[in-house]
Amino acid sequence: MNAKIETPEMMIYAMASQIENFDTVLHGVSSPLPILAMSVARKTHAPDMAYISGAEGVDPELNRIYPSSFDVRLNRNAVAYFGLHEAFDLAQRGELNLMYLGAAQVDRYGNTNLSVIGDIERPKVQLPGGAASAFLMPITPKVVIWVTRHTNRVFVEEVDFVTGQGYNHREDEYKKNEIVVISNLGIMNFKNPDRVMQIQHYHAGHSVDEIKENTGFDIRVAPDVSESTSPGPNVIKLINEIDPDGVRGSEFH
Amino acid sequence: MKKVLTSLQEAAGFVEDGALVTFGGATFSRAPMEFVRELVRQGKKNLNLIDREPAMDFDLLIGAGCVKKVRTGMLGFEVFGMAPNFRKKSESGELVTKEGACQPIIAGFRAAAMGLPSIPIKGMLGSDLLTISEVIGSQKQIQDPFTGETMIAVRAIEPDVAIIHAQKADEFGNVRIEGPFYEDVIKAKAAKKVVVTVEELIPNSEIRRMPEATTLPHFIVDAVVETPRGAYPCSCFNYYDVEYGHIQEYLKAAAKDQFKEYLDKYVHGRESA
Repeated sequence: MNAKIETPEMMIYAMASQIENFDTVLHGVSSPLPILAMSVARKTHAPDMAYISGAEGVDPELNRIYPSSFDVRLNRNAVAYFGLHEAFDLAQRGELNLMYLGAAQVDRYGNTNLSVIGDIERPKVQLPGGAASAFLMPITPKVVIWVTRHTNRVFVEEVDFVTGQGYNHREDEYKKNEIVVISNLGIMNFKNPDRVMQIQHYHAGHSVDEIKENTGFDIRVAPDVSESTSPGPNVIKLINEIDPDGVRGSEFH
Repeated sequence: MKKVLTSLQEAAGFVEDGALVTFGGATFSRAPMEFVRELVRQGKKNLNLIDREPAMDFDLLIGAGCVKKVRTGMLGFEVFGMAPNFRKKSESGELVTKEGACQPIIAGFRAAAMGLPSIPIKGMLGSDLLTISEVIGSQKQIQDPFTGETMIAVRAIEPDVAIIHAQKADEFGNVRIEGPFYEDVIKAKAAKKVVVTVEELIPNSEIRRMPEATTLPHFIVDAVVETPRGAYPCSCFNYYDVEYGHIQEYLKAAAKDQFKEYLDKYVHGRESA
């Protein structure tokens, strides 16, 4: 049987798969998909990861998610509290292995914009702000950017404002870390000598051509491009258990 | 130790027009909402607000016309969307928005708490946020004198007043925060004046029975106000959860151009608690 996998579940599974066992991972504000991805990872392939909640609980026994990613109920049965300033200390030591960050715009080099559409002095649209993006993006070994609307208004030639730094806005020492972009259509990375975005995987039901058509620049295609791995029924069940109300759908409306 | 127990009205007097102010909590957790409503009732003007990830506390003051400048890492309503008054007034130019990032804001508080003029941090290089921060004078690239590594010096942030909503305190200002602290202890140490609103007053004898539970000792705290449900509609750990329905009502009022009616009902009418 080949039931159709819904887009949020596909993205959550792809995001969870970025975590390796023993990784230390933090999620930030406004992050239902990262919370679900971290929860799936620790219950499947990464049981020994360290889970730091933006609500400050460490390794909580999460039984459900809420509209706020800082809801204190997300800390249920945690082993400790670890404040954001402490998580940032960890990041400066290079010991925060993976961080999920959002983007209102993302470009060819992986620059992200969460600040303004238009000019910073007189914005056409004032966006909420980049939170930890500018700090964590260059110094975290692996950064996963999640985008729920893969369109050519989001995947742009050049972002209006560089909130989070892509590869062309970095010093050499900061070009080593890995950026992965996970959208509703596929998984993109920068694993080529020019450090520009390429399609690595397209999700089931989507295609390289569809991603190209919905990207506002000439996106490359990895030589070994392939379909993403779809989540199995155990992963779908886990997601439904933790998010019975469908908070994960809020970013897709 | 002297008694610092006072009323909400008196405590709001610590915040002068134009003051640099920060609040405890993060997004919808332990924001000092009743104090915020009192600032609106007293008609404060030209406030300069700073915090890493505020939400309704900042947006309410902005919507009520109390704010001139705002600097945050992110100001939004999480999955509910944009902060409506922040967005509107930033786009109209009525509000001066100087976006920061979480780490430089936290580090700025830490520098002030340590009595230092600045503190070095990593990251930020290549972001346009660093460029605008260098113009404002809040961040600057430096070389570490020992390793030569390029670092970002963040200027200390010393708020005129920090307002924190906590669970418990005695009348002298020995405060217990339960659950996550966020940057509340750092902010209290960084600020010139500290106001703490609490769910519950407890006797000094109880504080003395368990000093390890005291998060802020009295000499850091300038005023304590007994304010049950003082974070409402945000949550206060061990006391009540966030009321998402109220937050959606707020957003609906703002979207329908009925924000004045919202203020009349929940701020001036004092029907909120």
